[in-house]
Amino acid sequence: MLDLSRVAGQIGEMVGQLKADGQERQQHLVRALTLMVDRSVDFEKLKRKAAQSKTTFLVAGLVEPLATHTKPAETPTDFSVIATDGSQIDVDRHQSARCYLINIGRIRLDYGKNPRATLESLPRLCADDNALVISGGTREQVVEGALLNIKRSVDECQHLADMSAELPPAQPALAVIDGSLILWGLAGKEFPDFVVEELLDKGFIKCLDDMLKLAKKRPLALASYISFPRSTDVVNALRLVLCPHDPADCDKYCGETNIGKRPCDAVAGVQDRDLFANLLADSERSALFTSQSKIVKENYGKHWVNFFYMKLEDEIARVEIPEWVAQDTAKLGMTHALMLDQCRRGQGYPAALAEAHEQAVVTGADRENFQQLVEILMADEHMTQTTSAKSRSKKTRWV
Amino acid sequence: MKQPQQRLGEVIEASTTGFTAQCYELYELPPLGSLVKTTEGEIELYAVVYQATTEGLEPGRKPIARGKDEASEEAIFQSSPQLAKLLRSEFSALVVGHRNGNKILQYLPPRPARIHSFVHACTAEEIKAFSQAFGFLNILVNAELETPSDELIAATLRLMSTTHEDSRAFLVGAGKELAALLGQDYARLKAILERIKPTDESTKS
Repeated sequence: MLDLSRVAGQIGEMVGQLKADGQERQQHLVRALTLMVDRSVDFEKLKRKAAQSKTTFLVAGLVEPLATHTKPAETPTDFSVIATDGSQIDVDRHQSARCYLINIGRIRLDYGKNPRATLESLPRLCADDNALVISGGTREQVVEGALLNIKRSVDECQHLADMSAELPPAQPALAVIDGSLILWGLAGKEFPDFVVEELLDKGFIKCLDDMLKLAKKRPLALASYISFPRSTDVVNALRLVLCPHDPADCDKYCGETNIGKRPCDAVAGVQDRDLFANLLADSERSALFTSQSKIVKENYGKHWVNFFYMKLEDEIARVEIPEWVAQDTAKLGMTHALMLDQCRRGQGYPAALAEAHEQAVVTGADRENFQQLVEILMADEHMTQTTSAKSRSKKTRWV
Repeated sequence: MKQPQQRLGEVIEASTTGFTAQCYELYELPPLGSLVKTTEGEIELYAVVYQATTEGLEPGRKPIARGKDEASEEAIFQSSPQLAKLLRSEFSALVVGHRNGNKILQYLPPRPARIHSFVHACTAEEIKAFSQAFGFLNILVNAELETPSDELIAATLRLMSTTHEDSRAFLVGAGKELAALLGQDYARLKAILERIKPTDESTKS
């Protein structure tokens, strides 16, 4: 039981701290905005510096000048938007049956002369050894928790690739993924190489390859949508403007300096979305940037992740696209226009993603029903069930 | 003049006295008081539609107004084609009798309809055959429903009367039956009779 009365005081302290931080951050934001539009900053030089520096923070690769802001292209009259989202029931180690379930919501919306919608929920139960572990030689990694999350992302992308293939060839179409194109889950943890190979190279990247193949023959673009992004890649590029060393080397020059005292800390605490909320007019997109994260550099190849920020009525969204969309002016323009259009139709959030989420969602009640169904079917076959004492104790609560 | 059977929907809830069916197409609802049928094994159940609803598919997702900037109601569905898939139309029907072999019986069948049984609209011949007797009126008079039963009885009789060559005679017969059933409740009887009063048009046909 959570004692709320004890938490209340701590929440008060937190709010006070946030308010104090807010004033400092406001000063940093003004500084950052000045740098964004500062014409004396040599863009080509900064681009080079960004590419050569060794930083402890993630710096966005620069493609277009920082202060670039672009109006949306015209929305085509007939087009399709497809989207997928997923959720899962993780392996429950307190239950006797080892299995997990991935539920993928798939949406296709056709707009224009023949409006049409397909809404699907496709659950898949995985209980065989091939699905429960990823094996490489003599070693194996159990698929559950964080790894299951990544596997689900791969499945979402696979379904999107399948749906892309079924689109009418001449119809402009945007395929939308929820969240990031970068599989951050794989980047953060130290997974063995065979896991990365299985999920990324043979999984996610393979699906992107399939879509690229299709996109060469038809007006298809791929993008992922991040609502309320917390990234600071672009602000970190401004840190390089402030850094007196060229190329910058954080460990070498500032290794001994405390955080908050470094020259670049004049823009600390600012997030990319704060910048673009002030810089962009309604519906405009920011300059293009590239992700310099290690996982993208090492694994994404021709799908190198580019991104831009986009201003909506109530928020700044981050849209990530593979290199082949970023470099195709028509597809880039279409992605911007259709994302905006989706947000307008979806009351601020892409309509197709919202519906995909609704199809994918697995509620607490669903989880219970699922476990019960497993138990009933096992009992039918007279299979002994060994649930853990902990699990039973949670179900039967006594005083 | 055998009419093809029109499939209206599928039973999603059933009890001894009635059932609820979901329509296959949005808004394709049978009219209030119309006679529909479904099957339970060999037995055909007859029921009168007393309630219809159209609402969001999931209880947690309420439809919201979307048309402020749209030119027409149609445009709302055009700019959000998924809407039609997120709404559903349902109707509830009160069981008023059943058919076992060739016998039409105007009392409750032994078992309720089964979930996922198809619900069909009754053809004119079937309605005519069913309404040869007025035993079903007793069920309607005594039913406790969301819809006022006076309204339901009147709507049912008006629709049934159109299948009889002499619809006036049918309505007069029904009125007599109601008078016997509602002898104690003159106000209610009057309310129903006013709603089924044969019009000029119905006397012509």
